[in-house]
Amino acid sequence: MKILFAALLQACVIQLSAQYTFFEPKEAFAIEVSLEHSLLKRLPIYRNSISSLVVSGDHIIGGTTADEGLTPFIFTASLSKRELVSFLDINETIPGQRSIRTGFSRGKNNGLYAGTIANKNEKGENQDGHLIEVKLDAAGASAIKDLGAPVPGEGIFSLTADSPGTLLYGITYPTGIFFTYNIATKTVKTFKDIVPSTQDLQTLSEYVLNPEDYLCKALIEGLQGQIFGSLPINKLFYFDPASQRFHIFEDHLPEVWGRRTLGQVESWAKSKDGKLYGGNAGDGQLFEINPVNKKVKNLGKPIMMPRLRGLAFGRDGKLYGIAGSLPGYAHLFSYNPNKEGFSDYGNPQFTMKAPGIEQGIDWRGFQLGTIASSPDGKYIVMGEDESLSHLLVFAVDANK
Amino acid sequence: MKSIRTNLGLGIIGRRNHHLGGNRVRIFGLILFSLSCLPVQSTSAQESITDKNMRFIDYYGFPGGSSAWNSIGYNPKDNTVYVGITDHRNKVALYIYDASKDSVHLKGFISELANLRPFQWQAKIHTKFVATSNGDMYFATDGGESREEYLMDHPKGYAGGFIMKWSPSEGRITNLGMGLEYESFKDIDIDTATGKIYTITYPQVHFLVYDPKTNEMKDYGRLGSGHVPRMMFTDRWSNCYYVDWRQRLVKYEKNSGKLVFAENSLPAFPGTPGEHIITGITAFANDERNGVIYFITYGAKVIAFYPQQTGIGNVVDLGGVIDVPGKEKWNYYVPNLNVGNNGKLYYVIGGHGIYAKKDQSLFVEFDPKSKTIKVLFEYPSTVFVEATGCNTKDKDGNLYFAGKRNVPRSERNKSNLAELGDNPTVPFLVKFNPDKKVQ
Repeated sequence: MKILFAALLQACVIQLSAQYTFFEPKEAFAIEVSLEHSLLKRLPIYRNSISSLVVSGDHIIGGTTADEGLTPFIFTASLSKRELVSFLDINETIPGQRSIRTGFSRGKNNGLYAGTIANKNEKGENQDGHLIEVKLDAAGASAIKDLGAPVPGEGIFSLTADSPGTLLYGITYPTGIFFTYNIATKTVKTFKDIVPSTQDLQTLSEYVLNPEDYLCKALIEGLQGQIFGSLPINKLFYFDPASQRFHIFEDHLPEVWGRRTLGQVESWAKSKDGKLYGGNAGDGQLFEINPVNKKVKNLGKPIMMPRLRGLAFGRDGKLYGIAGSLPGYAHLFSYNPNKEGFSDYGNPQFTMKAPGIEQGIDWRGFQLGTIASSPDGKYIVMGEDESLSHLLVFAVDANK
Repeated sequence: MKSIRTNLGLGIIGRRNHHLGGNRVRIFGLILFSLSCLPVQSTSAQESITDKNMRFIDYYGFPGGSSAWNSIGYNPKDNTVYVGITDHRNKVALYIYDASKDSVHLKGFISELANLRPFQWQAKIHTKFVATSNGDMYFATDGGESREEYLMDHPKGYAGGFIMKWSPSEGRITNLGMGLEYESFKDIDIDTATGKIYTITYPQVHFLVYDPKTNEMKDYGRLGSGHVPRMMFTDRWSNCYYVDWRQRLVKYEKNSGKLVFAENSLPAFPGTPGEHIITGITAFANDERNGVIYFITYGAKVIAFYPQQTGIGNVVDLGGVIDVPGKEKWNYYVPNLNVGNNGKLYYVIGGHGIYAKKDQSLFVEFDPKSKTIKVLFEYPSTVFVEATGCNTKDKDGNLYFAGKRNVPRSERNKSNLAELGDNPTVPFLVKFNPDKKVQ
């Protein structure tokens, strides 16, 4: 029906023989997060690109990225109410920040941890990014605690926590310094082992690549407490907390011939049995790491475009992810290793209802930057990466 | 150059009979016309309008050309009307109608005029043509939906649309380049003082501002989602207007260089579906003398808008485009609008499967002062199936629309129509003047 109506709406087409359908799960909706000049509780334009997401109980917690010179927000939306319930301007706690792109890591005592990247100063110099702790009250209102800047002059590009929730591991921006942060003692250790070498930087510059293009965008903890990530050029590493040493994989990231300089992990997910699934930004391959022998298996590309911006397991056992990005469109996909393999759901388009648009409008997610699942795997939540961004949510069928 | 087929002496009835092969055609010139299902009202100024006030002008030289969608515009510099005619595949013809000489000129095809390679194919011009003070005409190109939207970097996919300039003095096109990769353009407007171009992309609904003098392009971000509103317009200060997904006016305020959003949505009938809200405005016409811009929404509302230099101006709900008993008030398709020198609005209802009366197009006069609606002409779809085009009026007060007609089944096998496909339409230029005869 939606396709038929969409065909009518194509006001410039003589005939639209649409050979596609939109993904229509039984329970799906969009939540309006951003709206300029409104009395509704909404985020303003250019400060709301949803770059971090986590789901806790009924609450979706998001962190945003702003345009240069503007400051981001932490926001909370309710799954049951399907609306934005609160937001905080980071600038009120830590002035001058621009981005929260690390995702949220769960610590002890229900703390959520993230890192920020600051706006440059008037001279164009990088400023301090901070670690923050976010806590919610029962109503979803958040409080932010500034944990300081782990590495002066550097932002925080990626972050994860260990299973006990006592240690944070991160990579700084733009240099790529690996660091650990002890939440209890607030002590920081830094490591330069994965900082790109001068030779690598020379190679990367030949391809006109910036730190955003080659620094590891996501970290994850394996079952033995090792921290996994990537480094230029097209390599994988793990950090062993016990020995405090880095190990470079013999296997490299999956590559398309001639494009290995683009290799960069930008997403991870861990299955219940400890397998690690990673997304390679460079060419959009999904890959799997054997946790025992550290072998890398290329699982292929869900779509023909590069980027694999997020991964999250649903309660049906499928791995859901976001493939593609500008200059194309993001596609929602799933991967089921035992049955159908990849399924491409295209741009999700769900109904958005809110005061003033009670009848609902179709919201199509062209650019999706983040994905997260609720702890029970029922809900998959996706955040848009736009000048005016919203959430798209669907419920995963229970595994039969 | 080729002269138009004037049909003088035949009138539209004669021409229609030719095309219909004896089908009975109902034309109502004077407002003696009354449909029992339509609340037609009368005004005294209407007495003189007959089919002589209306004229259909044929194009030539492009048998495969099937239609235009708002790719029409007026150049006050030399009193000409520009139209882009598409085959909805990969050819777009540029026609110029010289209103002073009453002649149509085929200037060529966009791909050749702009030196496009086959992989840069363009299926149509979807924007209006806008004029600079020196008479140059700007427009932009479009890919034509599915093949554009989903094949993308496939070898048969769409590279992206181009902004172009036609120079009448030089008789050539300048290709000013793309906007966003893989994105086409649905509409364009211009700041006549600075020459800056405003445009909206498809399908991601990005509002762009482009300065041809510096080649600087700024992306102001996405303003919609499920469907791209097709219309943007400017006010007397060259601020540009569009709508967001709530059908709120969004103004690019040139003095600040920022987007300003209206707090409230435009008026809509109760029950207007979200799909119609998100599609925004389908037509506009600028009554500069009276400082008002009229527009029609995809929810079939006629609205008067009184712009102001700073901030959003006043919006006045003038009611629906028509009201047919038993039909939803929001469910009429009006992708066209002109305002006559008499201050009245003229538009054609019908197209894309949405009609006030089954398979009929209604040519309507709307008086903004009295809010009265008159159906001036009623056409079967084989004579006039749909009109697009906005705000196109020449120096003599003639109003222009980009029209088309369905080809009857009996005519579909004719050799000169073979290129039009399974559901062929034939485009023509509509010239109408409420105050004087045009044929």
